[in-house]
Order: sequence, then structure tokens, then C-alpha cells
Amino acid sequence: MSQPLQILLLDDEPIVGKRLKPALAKIGCDVEVFQEPIPALERINQKAFDIIVTDIRMDEMDGMQILDHVLAKYPKTKVIMITGYAMIALAREAMEKGAFDFIAKPFIPDDLRRVIARAADALGSPIDFSITDDR
Amino acid sequence: MPIIIISSETVQSAQQIAQAAAGELGYQCLGPEVLADIAAKYGIQADKLSEALGNDQSKFRRMRAKRRSQLLAYIEAEVLDRLMSDNIICWGVVSHLYVQGVSHAMKVRLLANSGQEAEKFAQQSGISVQRAAKSIQNAIRKQEQWALSAYGLNESESSMYDLVINLGQIEPDEAVRTIAGAVAYRKFKPMTYSIKSLAENALAAKVKTKLLDTLSDIRVQARDGKVVVTSKALKRERQKKAAVIKELAGQVEGVEFVEVHLINYVIREAAESFR
Repeated sequence: MSQPLQILLLDDEPIVGKRLKPALAKIGCDVEVFQEPIPALERINQKAFDIIVTDIRMDEMDGMQILDHVLAKYPKTKVIMITGYAMIALAREAMEKGAFDFIAKPFIPDDLRRVIARAADALGSPIDFSITDDR
Repeated sequence: MPIIIISSETVQSAQQIAQAAAGELGYQCLGPEVLADIAAKYGIQADKLSEALGNDQSKFRRMRAKRRSQLLAYIEAEVLDRLMSDNIICWGVVSHLYVQGVSHAMKVRLLANSGQEAEKFAQQSGISVQRAAKSIQNAIRKQEQWALSAYGLNESESSMYDLVINLGQIEPDEAVRTIAGAVAYRKFKPMTYSIKSLAENALAAKVKTKLLDTLSDIRVQARDGKVVVTSKALKRERQKKAAVIKELAGQVEGVEFVEVHLINYVIREAAESFR
């Protein structure tokens, strides 16, 4: 892969960004972490990310709105939804709107890395994904 | 790729539509023939499994509750395991009742073409069309009662399904095209969450088969390798029962941790205290 994958990670729980940023950096991704949707959206408006990982339930704005905004502006960006309130209807709604994948919390960093690796493949920028056990 | 689960008021229409849709989509078909494999795996007669599915109501009613649960658990474990494969259409093994929370499983309900089926049945059995129609309606009602007693679900409730097709109004070819079109919707695409849900359903079913060999009245849920078993026990048996459950469930591949919730057998305990 010539350029590192540009990833934006948005989750209002600080622990999520804290754990996932190093896990994704290990597979050569550049990760920007946000805990609030509005600043994340401002950053999205400035920069085209390859992959956006967003929580669904947040104050001010929910992940579905982020998904709509991203896909309208950057149709090629892969959006991965994560939520602690996974339900069949929500999962289907996210996929219908064009999410790349939907992951229920709690998950281990390898679960997300696997999805990131698939998204990288779909973007035509495969990454060297070797699983490290860091549950 | 998605899973298609077809259930119907009558066996004939489920088989016809499932096989035609599998041909149209290039999917594999998983139907009641799997019962022979399950029977061989557990050393039982395939007829017993068919009876547990309510295909012979009088024998089903005579079957002991523990045996029924055990046979249904064998079926669930094998079917859920096979549903982990892609591109599959499942019918005739009541998977609409136990595949739960799997967003890439599209559930289709077929409403019988009563008039046509009654005519066919009347010809085959040499009875009047009116009597044949009554007999078909009785069979549908009994199957609904079975679903209610075995799974606590009303299978005639349309909200259980993603697609309901009335074969009295829609020709079989058109029904197949409708199913093939609907399954292409993005919402039925497999995702990490739904694949994991299916795997957890399958793991819980495997644990259930293991436990039901010796225990009864258990409920099993699985999440991330952790299995939660809920059952009933007398106060004096609690420790021993919890240890047995942990031991047995822990032997199942994929189980990393077992949590046991035992509820007091209030009625039995009260009965024993009056002895």
C-alpha cells in the first residue's frame, strides 16, 4: 500500500478511541479520533477520509446523520457503524443507507481491524493485516 | 450473501417455492432431508424428529416435554450450523421460529392457495373438495398451535416476516421473482453484527443439545464466547447443578466462559417442605 489509510473515528466514549487508535495504527492507518459529532463533521468537510468509523447514538447528532452526510459528500468513503444498542431494525437501516458494515459493542480491536481490512480491499488499497491478540 | 427462510401454511408450497427460488438464485436448499443426517448424528430415528416438528400431532402430544425440547435442540443446532454457509434457502425445518436477531436472514411467509390445494388434496384422497378444504384448514390451525406450544410464537402473525406472499393471488413464478428481487435489497446484506448473531444462535443451540442430554428446563444465550444458562433448582441442589452445567457447557467448542443462573423451584420446594 502506497499511502496509509486515512481513518476518522467518532465515538462519545473516550475509551473507544483510546483503545482503537493504537490498534489501527498498528496496521498502518492514520487515525483521527473525535468524541463529538459537530467537530468531527467539520473535519469531514475539510478532508476526504478513506474510512469513517462512527458510533450511532450520540448527543447533538446521531451516526445515521453522519452516514448520510459522508456518503452524499464522498460516495467512495466506507462508513462503519458501531453501536451498543444493536437491533435488527437499526442494522438493516444502516445497511440500506449504504453503511459498509455494522458492528455491535462490545467488540475486540481485531473485530474492527478485520472490517477495516475488508474496507481497504474494497477501496483497492489492501493492507497487511496480521492479527495481534490485544483483547 | 443473505439467507432466505421460507415457511408456509402447507408443506407443498414451501418446497415448491424454495426449490424454484434456489434454482433461480443459484442458492443451495436446506430442507427436511437434513433430518436424516441429524438422526444419524445423534443415533435416533428421523421419524422422531419429524414428530417433534409437529408433523404428527398426536405423537407430538404424547411426547414428553424433555424429549421434545431435546429433539428440537438437535434440529436447531444442525440447521443453525448449516446456515453459517452463504447462499442458502431454508424451508421445512421451522427455522423461522428459532433464527432470531439475524438481519441477513430474510423471512418469507407463504399463504396457501387454499382452493387449488383443496382440489388437489380431494383428488388424491378421494374426498369432497369441501372436506379437503376443511382438513387443510385444520392442519394449518394445528401447526399454529404447535408453534405456539413449542416456541411461544404465533406464526400466523405477519410482523414476524419480511415478506408475506399470498399464493392465492400471486402465481408461483411471480412469487419466486419477488423473493429473488427482495433478497437483493442492501438491508439483507450480511454484516459483522448479523454474522456474529447467527454464530451465537448456533453456539447456544449446541450448548443446549449438550445440556439437554442430562438436564431439562434450560434456557441458553451466547455472547462473545460467553454462555449464560438459566434453569431451575432446589436450594439444596444449586451448587451441584451449577457445577454440572459449567462442566458440560464448557466442553462445547467455542465456549470460553459459562455463567449459570438458577431460579428457585418454589413449587417443588414448598411441596417438599409439607412432606
